[in-house]
Amino acid sequence: MDHRPFEGWLLNNPSLTADEKRQLDAHLKVCSSCIALAEVNLALKSVKLAAPAGGFTDRFKVRLEVRKKTLRRRNFWGFLLLAGCVLAALTLIFWPFLMGISSSPVELLVSWFGALLSFWSTLEAMALAGFLLFRIVPGFIPVYIWAIFLLAGCGWGLVWVFSFIKITKISQGVKP
Amino acid sequence: MTDEMTWIVQAKNGNDEGFTNLVETYQKPVYNLCYRMLGETEAAEDAAQETFLKAYQNLARYDVERSFATWLLSIAAHHCIDRLRRKKFSSFSIDEDEEGQTELPDRSAPDPEDEAVKKQTRERLQDCLQSLDPTDRAAVVMRYWQDCSEIEIARALKLTVPAVKSRLHRARRALADSWEEKEKRMHLRHERKPYGSPAF
Repeated sequence: MDHRPFEGWLLNNPSLTADEKRQLDAHLKVCSSCIALAEVNLALKSVKLAAPAGGFTDRFKVRLEVRKKTLRRRNFWGFLLLAGCVLAALTLIFWPFLMGISSSPVELLVSWFGALLSFWSTLEAMALAGFLLFRIVPGFIPVYIWAIFLLAGCGWGLVWVFSFIKITKISQGVKP
Repeated sequence: MTDEMTWIVQAKNGNDEGFTNLVETYQKPVYNLCYRMLGETEAAEDAAQETFLKAYQNLARYDVERSFATWLLSIAAHHCIDRLRRKKFSSFSIDEDEEGQTELPDRSAPDPEDEAVKKQTRERLQDCLQSLDPTDRAAVVMRYWQDCSEIEIARALKLTVPAVKSRLHRARRALADSWEEKEKRMHLRHERKPYGSPAF
């Protein structure tokens, strides 16, 4: 059965003339598909808002309090962990100073500079080793392996970009 | 300054009472959206509560130039869409989760028969809604229950206005198909009823 133009009228709700209304009524008597559309239109306009059970706001207050408590606890443990990490890092940096707390200031400075220099030379040695590997290793690896690595890297990067877009799209505080 | 704006400013300044007033005002539209999206009262209550919590936590990001109701509905819609996606991939039985509550007609209503028909329409529409894609469902609910404009729906669901129009169009056609199918099934059941079994 041809539903035109009746389906369009029902979907777009234009203002119909008396003659068009008559035509539509006549069509609705014989077309179950358009009757369904008209009934859905009517149902969508007549079904009322569903309301929550009484005491919704009170239940929200309780939930908010629980959430705040959880957040406070999480913040406390987070702060404690951060403070521990900072303390450990400081201890590591100032270890020579702490070890020689009873020595003279000159000895202290010397030992501190010594520690810094040894840290710096370790970094330099690691960088040199990395640079050498970077120059030697490519010669042992065939070109097609490099191509695979490159493609895998690109694919991985794309996955990251799409995931990031997806995550930011469904963020909590969606701006209207 | 309107009451709503006063409450928003109060809530932004850390006054929980201001936010509670906003919850009191918007609980019904938010719950309705969640209920129409999820089809279960318990899940709808939980989703509505979570929506308000998210709004509370992200209130600093709310742009006061825009409608607060649309912002809230946007959070609710995205929350429900996420929930439906998670549910789709979870191991729970769909039959178990889709089991909605069965309402009885209100016998104390002035016209119980009319009330029963209304109830049947409500339940049938709710069933048909569940057959839609979650984003289409959110668009339909915002358009017909919340009276949102196509621009507001587009902003809330992060779609373009033509996409919203096309989704609404498609959703209503799909609803009508589902409605017609249910009608046919109901007729078949009524035809079989006098004999009790299709074998006769």
